[in-house]
Amino acid sequence: MLGAFEQAVLLAIVRLADLAYGRAVLKDVQARLERDVAAGAVHATLERLEHKGLVSSRLGSGTPVRAGRARRYYRLQPAGVRALNDARAAVDTIWHGLTWPLKGRA
Amino acid sequence: MIADRHVALPRDARPPAWADALLRRLLEPADRESLSGDLLEEYREAIVPARGRKADRWYVWQVAGFLWRASWMWGVIVGATVVIRYLSDTLAPVTYTPGVIHVRSQLMSNALMAIFALAALHAVWRTRHVRAGLLVAVASSVIGGVISIAGTGLMLAVWHDPATLRAWQTSGGLGEALYGVPLLLLPIGAITGTAGAIVGKGLAWSRRRTV
Repeated sequence: MLGAFEQAVLLAIVRLADLAYGRAVLKDVQARLERDVAAGAVHATLERLEHKGLVSSRLGSGTPVRAGRARRYYRLQPAGVRALNDARAAVDTIWHGLTWPLKGRA
Repeated sequence: MIADRHVALPRDARPPAWADALLRRLLEPADRESLSGDLLEEYREAIVPARGRKADRWYVWQVAGFLWRASWMWGVIVGATVVIRYLSDTLAPVTYTPGVIHVRSQLMSNALMAIFALAALHAVWRTRHVRAGLLVAVASSVIGGVISIAGTGLMLAVWHDPATLRAWQTSGGLGEALYGVPLLLLPIGAITGTAGAIVGKGLAWSRRRTV
């Protein structure tokens, strides 16, 4: 089962499509989660997801602002699509019959 | 206005060279270019224009995050080893004879040296850099030291009856537990970490030759 952060990273890759490289994923995750996220946290997650076979990666070219250092682009694999669908289905099942946001005293 | 001076040439701005070198040593060869490039791009395009002089602090903080991720688990194991030793001294006190190394002390020392060596070996295996191994071992000793101080404090908060305090006194004293051993972790980590790093480099080198 995917954690919330893993889902955020995978969905960033879906949104960014061909432009899903490390920094772009980081910016998207930060924007969606509305908080500062360490680059290392996203990197560790991407590494784990790749190890699980949910994403694949390839090296692209560098740019002058990166001092010529290559970009690593990520792409969702079929297993990643399945994992995201399963995660969404699980949330929908848990929430079935309830309206969001919940009302009542906290 | 001070920040404006930095905005002028963000594409030429450079993070601290030592931090960049440290980052590249902590990364696996496959990620070295892409990850350090990501950080440099963010630093130049977003952080320098927004934070000016404080951008360097951001960069160092990011690098510290990578060091933390490489070291925290080993640090927790180091801290837990020391805390378990003091817990056993608290729950089953023994009288230590000066000049005689007790079996618990020997066990703890050997375990710590093995952990530091393994931490360094693992880091070198991943990164192929001896210095990465040394860094991870030293960082683990700092994290372990902090955990052992916190654990000792917690034990003292729970057990502070005269009998327990006497038992602590006979097993080395509070000073040894609160700052003696935590400080000693640093040189032990550095020395055994260096040994582990050299072994790791040798293993990585021999594997590369055989593959």
